[in-house]
Amino acid sequence: MDELELLKKDWKKQEEVLPKLSYQEIYQMILKKSSSIVRWIFIISIIEFLLWASLDIIFRATGVHDEVEIKNMETFSLIASLLSYGILIYFIVRFYLNYDKIQSTDSTKVLMENIIRTRRTVKHYIWVNISLFSTLMIGTMVYLVFFTDEFQRSAAEEQPPLWLIITTTVFMTIIFAGLIALFYRLVYGILTRRLKRNYKELEKLEV
Amino acid sequence: MNKELEHSFVTNLEQNQNIVHKVCRIYTSDPDSHNDLFQEITIQLWKAYPKFRGDAKFSTWMYRVALNTAITLYRRSKRSLKTTDIDTISFKIKAEDYDDEVEQQLKLMYAAVKQLNDIEKALVFLYLEDKSYKEIADTMGISEVNARVKMNRVKTKLKKILNP
Repeated sequence: MDELELLKKDWKKQEEVLPKLSYQEIYQMILKKSSSIVRWIFIISIIEFLLWASLDIIFRATGVHDEVEIKNMETFSLIASLLSYGILIYFIVRFYLNYDKIQSTDSTKVLMENIIRTRRTVKHYIWVNISLFSTLMIGTMVYLVFFTDEFQRSAAEEQPPLWLIITTTVFMTIIFAGLIALFYRLVYGILTRRLKRNYKELEKLEV
Repeated sequence: MNKELEHSFVTNLEQNQNIVHKVCRIYTSDPDSHNDLFQEITIQLWKAYPKFRGDAKFSTWMYRVALNTAITLYRRSKRSLKTTDIDTISFKIKAEDYDDEVEQQLKLMYAAVKQLNDIEKALVFLYLEDKSYKEIADTMGISEVNARVKMNRVKTKLKKILNP
């Protein structure tokens, strides 16, 4: 192509009009902090881990936990806590291993894949948590309705119909999970939109 | 030790800063964004520098980090201008070097390059820098065949932009 060859010739001349930074100016630059997408992903992921990890503490602090103790659900609650902390540790280790792999000296494709994988780990963590939370919520409801004396003993007319309890629980769970999913889709979407577009472009095989 | 590393890095970058400036020229359209991207590339180069062992030339090593930053790592601080106005492109063409027609053609070419997507810009940049298809493929992480095909597609696209 003639035009591109023409451009190539002019390209070398561009060097004459490029800015020239001094030693001192460049030195100042290395003292500044990066504002790269990887740094943002790291910060946001850590916040996500902290938020979910603190749920247990929030429950204890707000008294939800006390109620659990009254209703003889300590074992259930202990298993749930152990499970969620186990999941947390597993995902933090995986996140760290993936994050450590991100190197700007890799090829563009490998770099993109590593970033996407790191971000995906946190996304999986969120989904596992939503699932666990939904299961616990429904499980607790079932336990309270069928196995606690309080509910069984109260007069039949005082009890809300069973279908109402079940529908409300399922409905609330879906709304809750939906809201979290929407929130993550937004945060995740904004952060990685350009990255994903470029990755697709790079992967696309033109034949 | 750290001071030594800093000194050798800054000296190296100072000598090879043209590469980074050229990447900034391709990916940004105003001086502020240019400086912003230059800053981020410098940080990324510095972060990766301890792993630079001198098995490749410093300049060769820079291409990867600079392009990776421009394409993937850099988060535009503000909406970058998507301009195709040939007077606002950041390339300066020395009028005395060319006749009017060629000068105009060059301006249009630079404006057309600005309209390409991030990946296509990287291909054109490496092509203009006289890199082989093997080097282009290695830098981008695609096969050499794919690099050739993509480059041909970019050429066609540029032609289309120039002759709609």
